Amino acid sequence: MAEANSEFVLELHGMTKRYGEVLACDNVDLKLRRGEIHGILGENGAGKSTLMRMVIGLALPDAGTMVLDGKRCRIVDPTQAAEHGIGMVHQHYSLVDALTVWENVELGEHGKLDPGATRERVVEITERYGLDVDPDATVRDLTAGMRQRVEIVKCLRHEPRIIILDEPTAVLTPSESQYLFEVLVQGVRREGWAVALVSHKLDEVLQATDRITIMRDGHVVERVLTDDADAASLARAMVGRPVTLRAAAAAAAIGAISEEAIATSSAEDSHEGEPPVLEITGASVKAADGAVLLDGLSLDVYAGEIVGVAGVEGNGQAPLTRTLSSLITLDSGTIAVNGAEVRSGRAGAMLRAGIAVIPADRHDSGCVPQMTVAENLVMSTLGEVSVRGVLQGDEISERAQGLIDEFEIHAPSPDTPLAQLSGGNQQRVVLANALSCGPKVLVATQPTRGLDVGAIEYISGRLREAADEGIAVLLMSTDLGEIAALADRILVIYRGAIIGEMARSEFDVERIGLLIGGSTAEAGVT
Amino acid sequence: MGDLFSALADVFTSPTMYSSAVRLGGFLAFAAMGELVAEKAGTINISVEGSLLAGAFTGAVGYTIADGAGISGAGAVWFGLAAGVFGGVLVALIQANMSHRLTADQFVVGLTANVLVLGLAGYLSANMDLVTHRAEVIEIPLLVDIPLLGPAFFGQTWPTYLLYPLIPLTWWLLYKTRWGLELRAVGENPQAADVSGIDVNKRRRQAIYYMGILAGLGGAFLVVGQVGTYDTGAVGGRGFIAIAAVYFGGWRLGGVLLGVFVFGLADAFRLAVPVLGYQLNAQFLAALPYVITLVVMFFITKAYRQPMALSRPFIRGLR
Amino acid sequence: MTDLATEPAEIEAAPAEPSRWRTGLEWAVLYVLSIAGALVISAGLVAVTGNSWQKVFGALLDGAFLAEGRWGNTLTVAAPLLLVALGMVVGVKAGLFNIGQEGQLLMGAMAMAFVGTKLAGPGPVLLVLGLVMGVVAGGAYAGIAGVMKYRRNVPEVISTLLLVFIAYQIVGYAITTDWFLRDTDPDRPSRAVTSAIMPEGIRLPVIRMFGNEFPIGFVIAVILAFVVAFVLVRTVWGFRFRLLGSNPKVAQKMGIAANRTGGMALFISGGFAGLAGAIMLAGGSSGFRLTTGFATNIGWQGLLVALVAGSNALASIVVAILFAALRTGSGFLASTGVDRKIVDVVQALLVLALLIPPAVMFVRRRRKALAMADEEIDLANEEER
Repeated sequence: MAEANSEFVLELHGMTKRYGEVLACDNVDLKLRRGEIHGILGENGAGKSTLMRMVIGLALPDAGTMVLDGKRCRIVDPTQAAEHGIGMVHQHYSLVDALTVWENVELGEHGKLDPGATRERVVEITERYGLDVDPDATVRDLTAGMRQRVEIVKCLRHEPRIIILDEPTAVLTPSESQYLFEVLVQGVRREGWAVALVSHKLDEVLQATDRITIMRDGHVVERVLTDDADAASLARAMVGRPVTLRAAAAAAAIGAISEEAIATSSAEDSHEGEPPVLEITGASVKAADGAVLLDGLSLDVYAGEIVGVAGVEGNGQAPLTRTLSSLITLDSGTIAVNGAEVRSGRAGAMLRAGIAVIPADRHDSGCVPQMTVAENLVMSTLGEVSVRGVLQGDEISERAQGLIDEFEIHAPSPDTPLAQLSGGNQQRVVLANALSCGPKVLVATQPTRGLDVGAIEYISGRLREAADEGIAVLLMSTDLGEIAALADRILVIYRGAIIGEMARSEFDVERIGLLIGGSTAEAGVT
Repeated sequence: MGDLFSALADVFTSPTMYSSAVRLGGFLAFAAMGELVAEKAGTINISVEGSLLAGAFTGAVGYTIADGAGISGAGAVWFGLAAGVFGGVLVALIQANMSHRLTADQFVVGLTANVLVLGLAGYLSANMDLVTHRAEVIEIPLLVDIPLLGPAFFGQTWPTYLLYPLIPLTWWLLYKTRWGLELRAVGENPQAADVSGIDVNKRRRQAIYYMGILAGLGGAFLVVGQVGTYDTGAVGGRGFIAIAAVYFGGWRLGGVLLGVFVFGLADAFRLAVPVLGYQLNAQFLAALPYVITLVVMFFITKAYRQPMALSRPFIRGLR
Repeated sequence: MTDLATEPAEIEAAPAEPSRWRTGLEWAVLYVLSIAGALVISAGLVAVTGNSWQKVFGALLDGAFLAEGRWGNTLTVAAPLLLVALGMVVGVKAGLFNIGQEGQLLMGAMAMAFVGTKLAGPGPVLLVLGLVMGVVAGGAYAGIAGVMKYRRNVPEVISTLLLVFIAYQIVGYAITTDWFLRDTDPDRPSRAVTSAIMPEGIRLPVIRMFGNEFPIGFVIAVILAFVVAFVLVRTVWGFRFRLLGSNPKVAQKMGIAANRTGGMALFISGGFAGLAGAIMLAGGSSGFRLTTGFATNIGWQGLLVALVAGSNALASIVVAILFAALRTGSGFLASTGVDRKIVDVVQALLVLALLIPPAVMFVRRRRKALAMADEEIDLANEEER
């Protein structure tokens, strides 16, 4: 074991964590230095988040030690982590909507409740780091960017020496991301923070960090100084195999790989004269409390193409997905499949019209974990496996087994409860269910989020195949790399409407970035 | 129908109507306040009925013991009230621990607890000689002379007045203390509270204990502060009105108390009508409070103000 | 993008699953302990009042099965319990918590009383009509709660409950009102307020076996139990209910409208309770008369039967007989000097006891996983020193 070294404020040795059969972290070593932003780069499922969970006390390691300022320690819950000076800026599930900013900052503290003192503290922190937040605002009314600032205040309140950020820019516009990095750099310089920035975005890590550790499949594959690194080498290390289409596009997005590589990917179709399969016109809907969910959204998808919708989360992807799942009734606007209008909000109407949806959160509206694999697979085609209302067991088994084989789903048996399958396999079930009913339109929202590399490759491939077979595919993703790799046409969604469009050949990262941030003027909207 | 309207006019201008309303609804006010706190933490406790009944039973037992030991009048009433709290908390213990420590379904536990208490109270009381008397009425001078509503709020049996300090106390607990803040967080977004280091289920259990205290007090109040005698059928299912009151009060203290008052008014109406000389169908009158509750819930329930995590059990790692 | 605060399906599972024998043994021990605990407490309650629990147990057995003609009584009582339970099962599978069966049962009994005492016609026809109307009345009554739920989001837990109290009053009104159901026969036996007696031709046929007799209501109930089990698992309808109950959003996506399917589930749930009421009246409850207090808590206990049976239709048959046994057994308790109410207590204790094992197992699994992780850390730290 290394001797206590004042250069390192936190050392992780041999951290290991298993979830069931999956080895999320395998003997990981990491050293964080004072006054430095350390990027932890890796694809989804690489183990970086699990590692940080252990540092912050939300998970217990199966093996490994943590050394803080030269002394061994064990962290079992977030409060303890805070006592040791480790803070984390969370992404989800750490702010209570119904409470105000100062109440949220106060949550988890101890001692008598003193609103005045808390408000003062909040103001003090926001002024010190240039974060503009009103202590008495209700969190529900805040944008994603502002919520993150509240998270930051909550974290900084304990004057941490080590700050962990997990995929912090996922819900931010480019300008908000910029702002965040400035705050970090300032803090690092002035206070000597040790910052761990977990991300899967190459450009972000290249821009904002001093040092990078790359993880893949649960272990560390490379450590570099950011100045010595470039996109291509990072991409290779991250993926660990001949660069795939996806990584190529991701790298190309920042201009690192030749045009050739991109040109060899699928050609565009031109669809002159054909009507679109899916046509959404002026879709608008407001939530019960008045918040605008969709604001005159219009888009078309033609047969055989993949339309990618890029944008920061929270700009209408979820309402759009839910509307196409028959879960939301539009206030105005129309949805038409092959020219025939489909009524929104009516149970099953979208499915009957030929629209199959893979939602962002499969447990929310994609599949039913309590039911068996077979039941999840046949649920969209019940009519075909029943005779006069009675389910035919053999038909169901046969069909289920067929789908299991075709989609390479790893399940002990078709009668296993879905909950026992891994995330990647559950997503394959969702995909199989969607494709098996012969849809005309396939909507996939964040289809590969949180999955291991194998599943990502598989699902991306199936989406491409579906398009090749003539299905109109609508892909919504916050991951530009995914969109760049798969989409024939790219749309940008912002505040409930589509504000920009470009064909694959015109793909321009800067312009997309601007559109994502809402600046239509500079981006030259088509 | 004409009968009905003139009865209404007569009845609503008589002070005894309001007096009866407070008298009849008083015990529910205790229970409803308690359940409000529990629901703010995200739990629904059908066992509020059981807590009420347990409070009534143990209250009667407490009074009997005190009376037998020679403590008279007010002292015995205090004893009874304290014993009632004990009973209410016992039931709350079952509900809280089975549902929010052992993860048994809270509706099932609630229902079962009610059946258990009903059976136990009936069984044990059949073998006991319970002696209770009603606490005396104490009029608060000056305030009691307020027209129409004075006697209602300030001319009741003295245990009724225990309700008054409890209202601001409950409000203060919910909105001015850290405990209340954490409790509300737990009811809105338990995952966020958990990540912030709060023990979600512990707070939920504590909220349920608070409900047990208040409901137990309410039950004891019913016996020694309102009716004067113990009867296992005393609560008779009206504990559920407390839950209904929380719903149509929009999970706010003022609304909940108003709801209970309205129910009390409907109950009082039933009694006032024949006394004032009108002939209205007996069953219609008896059903009136429940019908009104249903109607009000139909038109007024604001589902979107409910605590977001209401009735969803919390287990870390599961959404 | 990942969330640190929650995890995907790979929740913290124990690294090594203990053998299946061991797990099975743990379950068995838990159940035995829980039930024993419930019984011990019951025995204790009996002892506290100065009686002998052996005598109580014996009386219960006699009253339920052993004495002459008793198991017939038990089956008679089991029939409505089972029916109510079946309704509850259907509701629960569809995600609905209808707890107003006591009231729906009364509505069904009222419908049967009306058909039986106010209509003229051939006996068997009226009997069947009465049963059907019983289903409709109970179903429609539950339907009120359905309307309130799907129009205004009023939780059915509360609305069905409130409707029970209203049902009591409706029945009270009916049997005290001449034009409705009141018995206007000047020769009626007692002064209690009641409906007219059900004419002989409209009563349920009775099965006689080995010195016992019970109305065919029991047979109907058992057949329906199998029907429900079949429909829930093997038909499209049942699949729809289960899907609605498991995930309403996915259900909506697949074409199952919550209000239509849920409303149907509520109707069926109430319909079963209504049928129970109709069968009770036509089978001889309260002397073939509708009275106040007619329901005798069958609605509430049927609820519990369903819950104890884990919302399983076939298991409900056994549990219904068990609960019925407790009821009829309690009729023999008078001679032991123990109050009948002890039976309610025993029932509730048993239900609680049955809730404990699954909950405990769940908690233990999680604790084990955490403890194992802890152990390894401690070991690792030890080695380092």
